[in-house]
Amino acid sequence: MERPSLVRAMLATPSARAGALAITAIVLFGLLAPLALPDPAAQPDIVGGALQPPSAAAPFGTDELSRDVLARVAVGARVSLAVAAVAVLLSATLGMLVGIVAGYAGGATDAVLMRIVDAGLAVPRLFVLLLLLAAWERMPLPALVVIIGVTGWLGTSRLVRAEVLQLRAEAYVSAAHALGAGPGRVMFRHLLPNTLGPLLVAATLAVGDVILLEAGLSFLGLGVRPPTPSWGGMIYDGRAVLTSAPWVSLFPGLAIVATVLAVNLLAGGLRAALSPREA
Amino acid sequence: MARWLAGRLLQALITAALAVVLMFFLVRAAPGDPLARLSEDRQLSPEAAAVLRARYGLDQPAGRQFRSFATGLVRGDLGTSIEYGRPVTELLRERLPGSVLLGGTVLLLTFGLGSWLGALQAVRRGAMDRLASAVALTLYATPSFWLALVLAWLVGIEWRLLPAAGMRDPLLPADAGALERLADLLRHLVLPSVTLAAVNLAATMRYQRAAMLEVLQQPWIATARARGLGDGAVHWRHAFRNALFPVVTLFGLWLPLLVAGSVFVEKIFAWPGLGALAADAVGSRDYPVLMGASLLVTALVVLGSLLADVAYAVLDPRVRRP
Amino acid sequence: MRRTRLALVTLALPALAFPLAGRATAQGSIVVVTGEHAAAPVPTVGEGTTANADVADQLFLRLAVPSPGRAAAGDRGFTPQLARSWSRRDSVTLVFDLDRRARWHDGVPVTSRDVVFTFGRALDPALAPVHAGLLAQVASVQAEGAHRVVFRFKRPYADQLFDATYFVSPIPAHLLDTLRPADLQRSAFVRAPVGNGPFRWVRSVPGEFIELAAVRNHFLGRPGVSRLVFRTATDADARINLMLSGEGDALIGAIPPLANRDRLLATGEIRLVTTPSNSIGYLLFNQRAPGDSTRPHPILGDVRVRRAIVAALDREAMVRSVFGPYAEVPYGPASGMLWISALAPDPAPRDLAAARRLLADAGWRDADGDGILDRDGRPLALSINVPATSAARRQMAVQAQEQLRQAGIRLEVLVLERPVWQERHVGGNFDIGFGSATQDATPAGLTQSWSCAGGSNVAHYCNPIVDSLMRRAQLSFGDVSPLWREVLDRVEADAPAAFLFAPVTVVAVHRRFERSAVLAGAPWLMLHSWRVRRGAELPRDRAAR
Repeated sequence: MERPSLVRAMLATPSARAGALAITAIVLFGLLAPLALPDPAAQPDIVGGALQPPSAAAPFGTDELSRDVLARVAVGARVSLAVAAVAVLLSATLGMLVGIVAGYAGGATDAVLMRIVDAGLAVPRLFVLLLLLAAWERMPLPALVVIIGVTGWLGTSRLVRAEVLQLRAEAYVSAAHALGAGPGRVMFRHLLPNTLGPLLVAATLAVGDVILLEAGLSFLGLGVRPPTPSWGGMIYDGRAVLTSAPWVSLFPGLAIVATVLAVNLLAGGLRAALSPREA
Repeated sequence: MARWLAGRLLQALITAALAVVLMFFLVRAAPGDPLARLSEDRQLSPEAAAVLRARYGLDQPAGRQFRSFATGLVRGDLGTSIEYGRPVTELLRERLPGSVLLGGTVLLLTFGLGSWLGALQAVRRGAMDRLASAVALTLYATPSFWLALVLAWLVGIEWRLLPAAGMRDPLLPADAGALERLADLLRHLVLPSVTLAAVNLAATMRYQRAAMLEVLQQPWIATARARGLGDGAVHWRHAFRNALFPVVTLFGLWLPLLVAGSVFVEKIFAWPGLGALAADAVGSRDYPVLMGASLLVTALVVLGSLLADVAYAVLDPRVRRP
Repeated sequence: MRRTRLALVTLALPALAFPLAGRATAQGSIVVVTGEHAAAPVPTVGEGTTANADVADQLFLRLAVPSPGRAAAGDRGFTPQLARSWSRRDSVTLVFDLDRRARWHDGVPVTSRDVVFTFGRALDPALAPVHAGLLAQVASVQAEGAHRVVFRFKRPYADQLFDATYFVSPIPAHLLDTLRPADLQRSAFVRAPVGNGPFRWVRSVPGEFIELAAVRNHFLGRPGVSRLVFRTATDADARINLMLSGEGDALIGAIPPLANRDRLLATGEIRLVTTPSNSIGYLLFNQRAPGDSTRPHPILGDVRVRRAIVAALDREAMVRSVFGPYAEVPYGPASGMLWISALAPDPAPRDLAAARRLLADAGWRDADGDGILDRDGRPLALSINVPATSAARRQMAVQAQEQLRQAGIRLEVLVLERPVWQERHVGGNFDIGFGSATQDATPAGLTQSWSCAGGSNVAHYCNPIVDSLMRRAQLSFGDVSPLWREVLDRVEADAPAAFLFAPVTVVAVHRRFERSAVLAGAPWLMLHSWRVRRGAELPRDRAAR
């Protein structure tokens, strides 16, 4: 499992290269494009200039407040990508740790951890977040991202645990034990690489979820505040004019889809690079 | 097995009880006034608010409120909805059929179709696999309300092929036959269930595909092939069964869909389910309805987890604990 | 624009009467699309929520109803319903004579006993706290014989007839007085009410719809259609979709969003009927420190800052952008349905220079050059609480944010979940609260929000001169227009809020209906007069029995 260059191995597949390229492009778009675009908060003419279809002046059209949709999609990338990257990494890591420990240790450890997960799944996330809102009125974005991450690992842990339950019975795990490998080594050297399948799927799927979740939170008084744009928020705001002015929500929606597809390609590469058996 | 199951059941019960207690105090600790909804049309006077607070026991300390909730629960009485002024058990009973019908259809479609398609992708890799992945992920990244609105607009409004909302046609004659009623129900079911299935399909497909790829590289698959088994038998009888773990887990995780549903989709299609009822109860802090709905969700969460654990043992006997 | 509002009212006029004559058999169905299922459509039970009242209005007659197109003021402007006539004995006593033809749907005659029974419930704060509050000025309701009811009031005031007729419709004593009063809410009667109105109960499918049928031999005349359905869709998009797909016939509150206008009209099947609305939206300035009502607000306690904010806002553009032609910028707290709104001049347009002048007078300058004014090292920064449920208000808050930025004011938009918003609003825990109010049909209700001791005066606005003007206007039976005009002028000058929008009610109605009157304040009260134009019937109209 010693890989001198994980990145190089990962990028050996063409699809992973395409994914990395696409993500780089989206990040650069979010960082650089706003420099050349109008102020995303400016409302030039809220009566006459609202909901204009795409044109040379506003390639993605304007929204219900006459703001430039392209500029908002570009600036929105910052919030949405930050949320996606940090929250997904956090929840995948936590889910993986809990899942591996529960599945490998079994017995009482497994029972306690999984019943905590059950209880967590039974209580709506909304109320936990509402309590946080009461306690922390003006939550900064980093804190929000961490909270999305640490409340999102429950399902992942169950998926990883299921995989470990199955793997634990495999011959090579007993062999590792026989050769004197400690529990830590077995869990992270032998079991972890083999749980990457469901873990990466969960992480990929979570990217789209958390971008929309962030927007949902702005309706609770959490999340980013106006006028800062985010992709999810733009989609929600464009809901009322979905059929009459589809460009308001279509372009941020396409941005999310592009991000998810790019992450999926990258995840495929990561799996190929880390999985011991995949050709 | 019986002892393991009994222990596991006990754990489930304790978990459910703890979750309900947690939920009870959490909803009351959350900011927001349960009478807010009643003052939306007209600001309540302080006197009127005091009477209503006393009527719903909101003036009592949380500990006492919990005691009356718990004693009511034992008798099967979940209290009276603050917003609707009706018994919660009645409200839940009215909404349960709609939820189970929609949730059941969606679970059937997602898991039946999803795991088949995912497995198919794994055994026939290539251009079709990549295309299917892209389509499924695109649908998954599409917000469910967005797809719901587009489908309602295209199919319900532009083409007028299917009803745009609701679970049944209120103008259906009173003497309509059972078949006519069933047809009416199915016509209303199509759009919401297709929306939810399309959005969720990617998850089962991806997990099934990943697990299948994993299993197909196992040495014993090669052994089975060497024994002369055909591709079909290897793939569908051996590999598929061993690759079901993630999908079974996911099913356990999604079982609450039967009652919780999808709030957005229920609302956009005006589907009379529990998801929308519970979401409205959150939005109005209708504590009794909220607790009733969360009881059902909790039951299905622990049941889903339990069923998944049982399924592991059935699928792969080596997993079973001593 | 201001004049058109009055013209709109008259649209409703010709359709006052029940369509008694003209057609041998009434047929057709009306499907009203609503946002909330009426769980208890029985007067004195359902806490008077709009959904319950809308259905109850079909089942139960009021003693009298405000006449469409006329302002309800004093004893004028009412049309008889359950009461055939009324007279005044003295300044605190009103006498109603019931129509002897009136019958409950089970055939039993309506008598004074029913009225006394109902008001006995409505006036009991333990049973009907909301109604008891609304009827606080009613001293007693007594029967004189089987068909005469006497209302006594605690003091003389102009709106006694309104109070006696508007809030409560009688319910049948002969079916209910054996029940314990508190049991009515859970009784079988609430699940299948027996009324005396133009429509009778058929069934309720909870969460989906309520079906009513016409009372063919109703003493006020046969309703224009045979079937009336209230169909529930809690989501605004679902409601619009039901109209666009041809499954719904009537919908209230389709606009905003303004985009819905073109979508509805594009079907060619729907027209839009407008009527004055009793709602009003405003940015309420907290005059006390947030969460501490003993201290003045450090910024908004200064009337110059409040006026500056009003001047810096382009309210006209905000209203046009969100409502199009379907709202006006109000002058003072007067919604379009209040007759005093006709007294008001046009509000002042945006004046950024005046806003800057006022702020400079108050000592706010941009000392650090960051574009935001400051005083003693503190920036001119405020936050506005907006309920998340209202897309229109969210949109307007972001517009205000940008417009105030141009005046050097930083406005933080706090979108809050509705119950949280409410809790903070009532608790006075805000700088600026984006509020809206549904006003009573008479200006007397303004004391609730805009007098020193008003129960809903959460921002602690207090001007004793305004209080005394309002008191005098309520007690006088003469022409009170000058008094109310002065109230509006003084409130505008005090700027307790930026009065932002007074919408008209927009009702989408299927084109096949004629005599489709919509009444301001109680939009569905005239459904009994609607009927399907001859030859325009749809298949489902014929299917109805």
